[in-house]
Amino acid sequence: MMKRLVAPLFLLLGACSSTPTRPLPPVIDGQTGEPAPGVPYEPPEQTVPVPLPPSSSSGGAVVALLDQAETYHRSGDSDNEAATIERALRIDPKNASLWSRLAAVRLEQGRPAQAEQLALKSNALAGEDNALQARNWRLVARARWSVNDGSGARAAEKKARDLGG
Amino acid sequence: MPPKKPTNGRRRTRKKRRRSRKSSSFPWAKIIVSVLVVVVAYVAFLDFQIYRKFEGNRWSLPARVYARPLELYTGLQLSAAQFANELKALGYRFVSRPRRAGEVSRNGNDFQLISRPFDFWDGREESRALRVSFTESHLGQLKDDRSGQSVALARLDPLAIGSIHTARQEDRILLRLDEVPDTLVKALIAVEDRGFYQHSGVSPRSVARALWVNLRSGRVVQGGSTLTQQLVKNFFLSNQRSLWRKINEAIMALLLERRYDKNEILEAYLNEVYLAQDGQRSIHGFGLGSRFLFQRPVGELSTAQVALLVGMVKGPSYYDPRRHPERALKRRDLVLQVMLEQGILDRTQYQKARNEKLGLVTAAAGTSKTFPAFLDLVRRQLRRDYNEADLVGEGLRIFTTLDPQVQWALQKSLDRRIRPLLKQQPDLQGAGVVTHSANGEVLALAGGRQAGFAGYNRALDAQRQVGSLIKPAIYLTALEHAERYNLATPLDDSVLQYEQSGQLWSPDNYDHQFHGKVMLYQALAHSYNVATARLGLNLGVNSVVSTLRRLGIDAPLNPYPSLFLGATNMSPIDVARLYLNFASGGFHVPLRSIREVLDANGKPLQRYDLSVERVIDPAPAFLVNRALQMVVAEGTARALNQRFAAALGLAGKTGTTNDLRDSWFAGYDGEKLGVVWIGRDDNQPMGLTGSTGAMRVWSDLYAEAGVVPQQALKPEAVVWHGVDRDSLGLADNGCQDTVQLPFIESGSLPARAPCATGGGPDWLPGWLR
Repeated sequence: MMKRLVAPLFLLLGACSSTPTRPLPPVIDGQTGEPAPGVPYEPPEQTVPVPLPPSSSSGGAVVALLDQAETYHRSGDSDNEAATIERALRIDPKNASLWSRLAAVRLEQGRPAQAEQLALKSNALAGEDNALQARNWRLVARARWSVNDGSGARAAEKKARDLGG
Repeated sequence: MPPKKPTNGRRRTRKKRRRSRKSSSFPWAKIIVSVLVVVVAYVAFLDFQIYRKFEGNRWSLPARVYARPLELYTGLQLSAAQFANELKALGYRFVSRPRRAGEVSRNGNDFQLISRPFDFWDGREESRALRVSFTESHLGQLKDDRSGQSVALARLDPLAIGSIHTARQEDRILLRLDEVPDTLVKALIAVEDRGFYQHSGVSPRSVARALWVNLRSGRVVQGGSTLTQQLVKNFFLSNQRSLWRKINEAIMALLLERRYDKNEILEAYLNEVYLAQDGQRSIHGFGLGSRFLFQRPVGELSTAQVALLVGMVKGPSYYDPRRHPERALKRRDLVLQVMLEQGILDRTQYQKARNEKLGLVTAAAGTSKTFPAFLDLVRRQLRRDYNEADLVGEGLRIFTTLDPQVQWALQKSLDRRIRPLLKQQPDLQGAGVVTHSANGEVLALAGGRQAGFAGYNRALDAQRQVGSLIKPAIYLTALEHAERYNLATPLDDSVLQYEQSGQLWSPDNYDHQFHGKVMLYQALAHSYNVATARLGLNLGVNSVVSTLRRLGIDAPLNPYPSLFLGATNMSPIDVARLYLNFASGGFHVPLRSIREVLDANGKPLQRYDLSVERVIDPAPAFLVNRALQMVVAEGTARALNQRFAAALGLAGKTGTTNDLRDSWFAGYDGEKLGVVWIGRDDNQPMGLTGSTGAMRVWSDLYAEAGVVPQQALKPEAVVWHGVDRDSLGLADNGCQDTVQLPFIESGSLPARAPCATGGGPDWLPGWLR
């Protein structure tokens, strides 16, 4: 009932506003899981548990890729180095060191803005690893220096120092 | 050439000359010289054509598109059943003991296989013998099957999911002669041109022999023209049957043989020959023919399959094994017979091949290999960076982000939930997008409820009202004002009448009830419209619009209060862009469907790099994530709790629009974000809410594809507190009914609850706990 009253009011609101856009009907939501008419209730199948990974983990794969990245690094092939780290990140996307490593490559490639963002991403995943966080802030500082953002760089350096790095 | 001929010719010419001198002064000599000049020039012209074709790029090659390669390593989340499906799609043969690349044996959760070699951007992944064992949900062990040593990482060849070509373009996979099995070459020569290694392009003897063989067997087994002539015909000449064409064909065949050796001609033939038609695309060459019919490289074909392909050369559509299986089988057996007679096969091999079925690939249910909606996305991304000619002619290889496992799960789930409703709602449609949360790779895309059906791509193009899906942007805007708002801030869910320019706006809740004072997170979790509208009005529509812009939404937004309830249109992929900000912990991650593009020589032409940008501070991002988890824990998506373990920490939001025209769900686990939409193209009501429609598809999708627990790391600036559900105050051990919520340490906190007695951890300062 309420809905029926509200809709025309809303249409008027849209029609009278200064912007010449099509009036939009209101939106409703908030239903809580009762099946709609015509949809047979289906009891859920077997509960999906938390998957248990095997005792040995993906670490070996990531190490192998980091070795490969290192080889590219030594030969100065930063494109392939970055692509290899990305490959490792697909396997272990929560690995803060990998994000930091990618940030370092981007800085080397002369992409300071992306380097800074990747370092921030690394910090978001670094948890208690203060050394890594400090390393990331120093990287951010270098990125900011490279675009002549002195005050930003000094702020990042201070963060690195506060973290004991 | 026999030495007699030129003498004859000269004598005749002399005669002619004498005659011409006699009969007045008709210029015979001049005419003959002119004719000779023209003939020589013409032959030179044909020769040049041959030269140009053979020395340049012989074929314009369509761009080939691949899914992501499956990377195998211990700890990979993948079930044995999923692995088996992937191998089937790749055309691996299930045998009792693998001996060749592309063969696999399975014993329950244990697989032994020999992988195929494949050239990736970082070099060749060699073929290797692997032993792979699975636990319930993960790859448990990966070993080298020969040495027994653990293998850290192995990459399978990627599934070819399509090619980008023009209408009626030829498609082929180029082969080197050394990649083609000996039996195929021998069979081809035995059937098509037995004198191939002897003749010099044209063979009167083979015409005679073909005539004899055909007469003897009572039907046309052999054609008279040589492989060289056939190649010339396909390369340079029209299909027209005329004497002139025959003459050209013969001249060019002779020229071709003079310039190039037999192996070069044979290799060109093997790549050129027309074998089948696939809609607008014509299938040329044994490389693609083998893939097209049997889903495997030519080197892995059985004898019977080789015979079938060789047999098809004579009449690709007449012997099309999919349309005329019996005819094709007869033809194959005839080829096998010839192979036996020519000693290419011994009797045992012949018998074994005769007993084989045609063995064509048929798409197994749920593992289709055509993904038109995803390819559409890839094509759109490519069009921004390449011109059409490079895409369809340069033989580029495009490596995409498509994850077949997720794609199959998405298609299966959409079909499973929508199909039963089609009786009452024949026009019901659906679409979905799944992306990787951390790197923005698009893992799956469904443009409609039917898998493999090209057409209106709803995932990209359906602009639909988003309803409550927009609400997290409003709650985020509030939580970013930590001094005023926290997850427990009481919101007023009572009658709202808002006047603007003399007009009254009075939103309603879906259950037509008002809920009084509710905690901020509850208003989101239960999707209360009135509380949300009031919150939005307090924040101001412009601040919500600017939040949405910061989160990367380019779609036009109407700066009216109705925006708070989602009166704005977005496509499913737009919604994925919006929610990726939440799923990735506050980072804007551009969506990508392509990883890299390689040129025909395997060199990277272009990479689509991973990039991120922090758009939400860590603390409010953590709070919004928690609120979206509460939607599942106790809100409109709580039905998911009956199916998924609470510890998985799933987060999401339902969306339902006016009169049940759109059913939405956007949700994520620890790894991927999924957005599902259900509705009708004509925008008529269809009777499903977010949680009765789209959320069920989402639920099936995640159960099928596999869930990864979501454990967001708590930022330093955030602390947990218990809140008394009754008074909405800070609780401690004295309170009965509490909820644990994260708060920004420097921001506002609720007042102490009346039930709090001063005992318990919540009243201790942080440094003491």
